[in-house]
Amino acid sequence: MLGTLPMLAAEAGNFGPFLPLAFAGLGAGIGVGIVGGKAAEAVGRNPSAFGSILTMGIIGMALAEAIAIYGLVIAFTK
Amino acid sequence: MPMELTYLLAAEQLTVQANPLFPHATWFTNSMLVTIIVTALVVIWARRSTAKMELVPSRVQNLFEAVVETLYITFEGIVGKHMIPKVFALLASLFIFILTANWFGLIPGVGTIGFGEPSSVPLALKDISEPLLRPANADLNMTLGMALFFMCWWLFWTLQEVGLFGFLKENFAPKGGVKGFLWFALLPLFLFVGVIEMISIAIRPVSLSFRLFGNMYAGETLLHTMQSIGAGLPPPLGWISLVLFPLPFYFLELLVGLLQAFVFAMLCAVYIKLSTTHEEEGTSH
Repeated sequence: MLGTLPMLAAEAGNFGPFLPLAFAGLGAGIGVGIVGGKAAEAVGRNPSAFGSILTMGIIGMALAEAIAIYGLVIAFTK
Repeated sequence: MPMELTYLLAAEQLTVQANPLFPHATWFTNSMLVTIIVTALVVIWARRSTAKMELVPSRVQNLFEAVVETLYITFEGIVGKHMIPKVFALLASLFIFILTANWFGLIPGVGTIGFGEPSSVPLALKDISEPLLRPANADLNMTLGMALFFMCWWLFWTLQEVGLFGFLKENFAPKGGVKGFLWFALLPLFLFVGVIEMISIAIRPVSLSFRLFGNMYAGETLLHTMQSIGAGLPPPLGWISLVLFPLPFYFLELLVGLLQAFVFAMLCAVYIKLSTTHEEEGTSH
């Protein structure tokens, strides 16, 4: 079973450069989702703090997404 | 096999390094040309509309006043009243330049007019390999330059505020009001933590530049790929797909351009705040 995986990979084409992107995208997706959920929860608890929660939420999402962008750069330059 | 080769070729239309425009001056690339155009655009427009300031502002003057005032309030909330006169020029300039450069890359013609492989139709190319204009921030040289420039100023302002001794004390000395023998006992641990802190500070220009470059380069590549999705279709359908498919991604790129400019400037402000606010604390360190 496990032995056929490299053969399948060789048939499907060279996805070596895209492996970092896959894992980085997975991590970034989960991270951004957590930040968004926590931001929504915080606004629900204190609707008057919407502005500062929005700012912090956007910063958090951009930082979490940057890791996926690093993976994207690796994928496109190899 | 041929299917994924097509996608790879479509994505490879945009090279990681910008293309030089003249063969004998390879340092002058198409993204540098866009940088010059964007700078001239911002500076000339700003100066012309605020040349004669009036008490009841005209529309353009009002626009610039609104932008500057909003940025001032936002950055003052982060950096603090003491630092804001020194740092506002750099932070606001970074934000306005990055925003204009990002949005300039969405104008029709940027990235689509240039030299490449000719096709049967007289003035149309099959795929473009050397565009005349390329988004300024899709070049790692530009973003790295801005990030390094900011880090030099950050170091200068930090040392000016807290001094070299204060900077070292902030990062390497044991905290929490420990005195005497306990201070010396905890020193190795805090030294190690300080080394890790230095590494994370050294990584900052890398992450700043790569975040902006990655977002802009990926956005431009995404637009190119979306344009070439319907390349094999017969003429009317092929031309319609050329315009229709990138359309939702244009809105995405508008949002991403604004967001990345905001994040770049905001992170710069946060870095300044982290290292200069400690001198205002009244507790004994």
